[in-house]
Amino acid sequence: MTYQPPRLSTGIPGLDTVLAGGLIEGASYIVQGHPGAGKTIFSNHIAFTCVASGRKVLYVTLLAETHERLFQALSTLDFFDRSQLGTNVSYVSVFQTLRDEGLSAVVNLIRLEIARQGATLLVFDGLLNARDRGDSNLDVKTFIAEVQSQAAFVGCTVLFLTSTRVVEDSPEHTMVDGVIELHNETVGVRAVRRLQVRKSRGSASLDGYHQFEITGTGVTVYPRLEAAFAYSSVPDLHDAQTVPSGTEGLDALLSGGLPESSVTLAFGPSGCGKTSLGLNFLSLASAEQPALHFGFYENAARLRSKARALGVDLETPLASGALEIVWNPMTENLLDKLGNRLIEAVRARGVKRLLIDGLGGFERAAVHPSRLVEFFAALTNELRASGVTTIATWELRDLFGPTVTVPGSEISSLLDNLVMLRHVELGSRYKRTITVLKVRDRAFEPVVHEMKFGAKGLAIAHPLEPATGAATGVASSVGDRAVT
Amino acid sequence: MPLVVIAEDEFLLADMLAMMLEDAGYEVATAAHGKAALALVRQRRPQLVITDFMMPLMTGLELAQTMRADDSLATIPIILVSGAQGSVGRSHPDIFDKVLDKPYSEATLIRTVNALVSGDET
Repeated sequence: MTYQPPRLSTGIPGLDTVLAGGLIEGASYIVQGHPGAGKTIFSNHIAFTCVASGRKVLYVTLLAETHERLFQALSTLDFFDRSQLGTNVSYVSVFQTLRDEGLSAVVNLIRLEIARQGATLLVFDGLLNARDRGDSNLDVKTFIAEVQSQAAFVGCTVLFLTSTRVVEDSPEHTMVDGVIELHNETVGVRAVRRLQVRKSRGSASLDGYHQFEITGTGVTVYPRLEAAFAYSSVPDLHDAQTVPSGTEGLDALLSGGLPESSVTLAFGPSGCGKTSLGLNFLSLASAEQPALHFGFYENAARLRSKARALGVDLETPLASGALEIVWNPMTENLLDKLGNRLIEAVRARGVKRLLIDGLGGFERAAVHPSRLVEFFAALTNELRASGVTTIATWELRDLFGPTVTVPGSEISSLLDNLVMLRHVELGSRYKRTITVLKVRDRAFEPVVHEMKFGAKGLAIAHPLEPATGAATGVASSVGDRAVT
Repeated sequence: MPLVVIAEDEFLLADMLAMMLEDAGYEVATAAHGKAALALVRQRRPQLVITDFMMPLMTGLELAQTMRADDSLATIPIILVSGAQGSVGRSHPDIFDKVLDKPYSEATLIRTVNALVSGDET
């Protein structure tokens, strides 16, 4: 059995996942990033988490803003507890000692103060200043090694903060157990914060970049979905059951219903009935089949109003708690925040019916669209393994036309079932049609059917009269001259 | 010239306090932590001590308590200047003669120091 070192929980949502369980007790880390990257809030969030769990924290500064100025800034954050200052968390400056007596004196002072305070977390803000005071790389290495060993001897975890980029062959990098780098970058017109664990001795942290944000609650990290869910978190026990779609007539086209734990893409242009199809699916929510609407276009009030107008009962499952509506306005989203939020919402209520309206919301949030295939692969694998039957909508750009563009270049391999909805012009009338194009591992009815809105929402009516070109949206009856 | 000892680990604040007091006609000696401040107080017997709360090796409260426990130092007036721990200082009126909450004006500081040094503030 492999040894699992004791961990110190950071208290930063998502970060313990990236760190494979948290910081290692007694280990030392460099937290680096340009000014404004978030190092101070990051380290203070961890510090006050420790304080809240009954630990003592020593926060040592060199040449930085005054402590009072720092407290003013931290006061805007939920984790900050002013009553703990001077008791369970102490902020001290050692710049004068560094300036007048050098690095060795600082090491000694820190040693004494850790022991005096009984601190189990030391935050040292100002590694750059310490580096400048040293006469050589050896001085810096010695300083870090001495602080490290003094702290480790008493089980104190150390965070060294620095605004310089510590590279792999720098003396600091070689001495510490871990290096966490914070970035605040401009991509296009928006700012995106990302975190990377560049070194993690004795710990299998999640490699690569992970998005994070700083809000009133402090720091929240969103582990990159395809890294955190490289494999589904639970075994995928595929069972060949079916789940009612909620749309009258559709189950017959699917040989009994939607395959359980499958992902169905319902795609089509605006106004063809995708959301209505999804609302029918959600209306069957129950205590045994909790449902979730994870959408980007309409807030809960508007969605409920739409359902009422269509005659679809969402009020009953909403009132009972069987249905939850999570709205993500399509403004500046973070892709991994969306993915993690969705998975957490599914887990929290054991969701079995999920409507994602629509996948385009994830695509718009992607700062790096090239990772979308991997992202959706991780997401759909996790949903399947969790026993969630999912309908995801995708809006085609053109109302009519022969070109159908679905999300991603390998979408068919990620999605189990494809259902196409179209407006079809036929005989000077516009008809809504639905066609099942693919059902993984099952037979289905590959016939274009008309849809109608009845007393209880969208329903499958009858097969479209014989026509050609229905898939393009501009059709002609069989035997008629083609309309161009 | 009356001597004031400043116990303050943040050197920018210590320098600022020193400048204000020197402009007001005081001699100033500074210490970067409570232990050094205690040594300075024992050595120089100042007319007043101004101390921060959070400092390495010995806090402002520990410094003041140690001074009050020493008959030779017990009568030296002590001002606590603090942002977060002002309430702690006010809950010990037997230890701190005055608590100044950050931020404070130079006029308030000098007025308070003058009163304590001259014995008008009890």
